[in-house]
Amino acid sequence: MNGFWSAWIMFLVVLNLGITFFLFLWGPRVRIPVQQDGTTGHVWAHGVLREGLHRLPTWWIVLSGAMFAAAFAYLVLYPGFGSFRGVLGWSQHGEVQQHLDENQQKLSGLMQTIANTGIEQLATEPAVTSYGQRLFIDNCAACHGREGHGNPVLGAPNLVDGDWLYGGDPQTILASILDGRQGTMPPMAGSLDAAGVRNLAHYVLSLSGAPHSPTGAAAGRESFAVCAACHGAEGKGNPALGAPNLTDNTWLYGGDLASIERTIREGRSGVMPGWRSRLPEHDVRAITAWIFAQSHEGAGQP
Amino acid sequence: MAKGYKGYRYFEAIEKHAGLLGILILVMVSLGGLAEITPIFMEAHAVKPELGVKPYSPLRLAGKDIYVREGCYLCHTQMVRALRAETERYGGYSAATESVYDRPHQWGSKRTGPDLARVGGKYSDEWQRVHLKDPRAVVPESNMPGYPWLSEALVDPDEVQAKMRVLRRLGDPYSDEDIADARAAVAGHTEMEAIVAYLQGLGIDNVPQAEPAPAATGAP
Repeated sequence: MNGFWSAWIMFLVVLNLGITFFLFLWGPRVRIPVQQDGTTGHVWAHGVLREGLHRLPTWWIVLSGAMFAAAFAYLVLYPGFGSFRGVLGWSQHGEVQQHLDENQQKLSGLMQTIANTGIEQLATEPAVTSYGQRLFIDNCAACHGREGHGNPVLGAPNLVDGDWLYGGDPQTILASILDGRQGTMPPMAGSLDAAGVRNLAHYVLSLSGAPHSPTGAAAGRESFAVCAACHGAEGKGNPALGAPNLTDNTWLYGGDLASIERTIREGRSGVMPGWRSRLPEHDVRAITAWIFAQSHEGAGQP
Repeated sequence: MAKGYKGYRYFEAIEKHAGLLGILILVMVSLGGLAEITPIFMEAHAVKPELGVKPYSPLRLAGKDIYVREGCYLCHTQMVRALRAETERYGGYSAATESVYDRPHQWGSKRTGPDLARVGGKYSDEWQRVHLKDPRAVVPESNMPGYPWLSEALVDPDEVQAKMRVLRRLGDPYSDEDIADARAAVAGHTEMEAIVAYLQGLGIDNVPQAEPAPAATGAP
C-alpha cells in the first residue's frame, strides 16, 4: 500500500472515529429546553407525537463506550490503520502458514516414517494407508474410482485386481504416479477394412479363450503380426511399454467384440498425469502404500 | 429560544429538516466505504501481470468465453482462499496477478463443484472431454450437467480475432501478428477442444514459473 492511500485511510479513520466520539461525549451534555408539559416542544404528525425527555440508558452508554474501546484496540493490534501492521504482526498469509506449520509439526513423525520405510512395510501400517487412501480419493478417484476399480471409459486401469500394465512392484507404482504414463495404441483403420478389423478382433478374443468366430480368428491371425511388435507374438503384452496382456480376462477399454473393434479401428491414447509437481513425494509414497495394500492380501487394512 | 440552549439548536435543525438529515447520514456512511473500498479498487487496477505470464492464447481465450457462456462460474470458483483446508486440497492460495487477463475475473462466490484455479494438468485431456460430455461416466456421484454440444460446435475464428482486438484496446499486449495467427490457431477446433485447453492451463499458464528459464527471458 503506497503512502497516499495509507494516509487516505488514516485520515478517514480518524475523521470517522473523531466525529462519532465527539458526538458520544458532547451529545449527552447538550442542555435541552423543557416545556411545562415535560416535553421538548418538538412535535410530529400534527401534534400526535411529542418528544419526551429521558436520559440515555446507562447500558447504551456503556455499550457505546465499549465499542470505541474495541475499535481502538483492534486498530492497535491488527492491520487496519493505513499501512500500520498492528503490534501483533498478524496477517492472513502468516496465519495460513502458521496453520500449515502446526499441521506439519503434528504429522512430522508420520512423514518421517513414510520417507524412511520401505513401501511393502508401509502398506501394513494403518496410519499410513488411511492417510494414503484420503489422498487417493482426493486426487486419483476421479479416474480410478473411489475403490480403485478403474474406468473402462477412460482406460483407467483397475488397481486392486493384481494385474499390472507397467509392473506392480512398489518402485514401479511410485514411478507411475510421480511421472505419469502415456499409453498409445495407433489406429489401424488406415490399413484394415471393416472386415479385417472384425477378423482381427475375433483373433484377439481367441487369445483369451473368449467366445469368438474361429473362421474370423483364423483370417485375422495374419494381421496380428503388426500388433505383435508391442503386444508380443503370443499377445502376452509388454510391461516395459505398458502394452496390455491380451490373453487374460482384464480389459482396459472393454473386452466385448464392439469395444475391441473400436480399439483396433481408432487406436487408444491413455494418459496418466504425473504428480511430481502437485504432491510432495511422501504423499505419493503413502498413496503407493495404500494401492499396494489393496492388491496384496494380508497387507495393512485400507 | 432561551439562552444556554445553543447546542440543542443544531440537533433541532437536523431533526426538523429531513433533507439535511439525509445528507449528513450519507456523509457518515460513505466514510467507511471511502476508507475500505476506494484504495483496494484503485490498487486492483494497478495490478501488473507477473513476469512470464502471457495473455490467453486464441484457443484458450475462446475456451474462457465458453466457460463464461455455459455459466461454469455459478458452481465453480477460481479462488483458492488463504486457509489451510483450501491450500491442502487445491494448492497455493490465489494471487491477484493470476487473473489479470480475466475479463471478467472468474473468482466466483459459490462452490457446488470444486475450485478450478489449479485444475490444469490434474486430469488428462481425455478425462476432461469425457467428463464434460457425461460427468457421471467418470464420477458416478457427480451432479454436474453434461455439455455434449461442445463437441459439435466449432470455434468461430472471426469472433476470436474480434475479441483479441477489443482486449488489445483494453490493454492486453496482443501484437498484430498474434491476432493474424489466431485464425489458424482456432480454425477447425471444436468448442470442446477450446474449453479443455482453457481448463488445462488454469494454474499453469497464468502463474509464472518459479525460476524462468534463462533462454526464455533473454534478460541477464
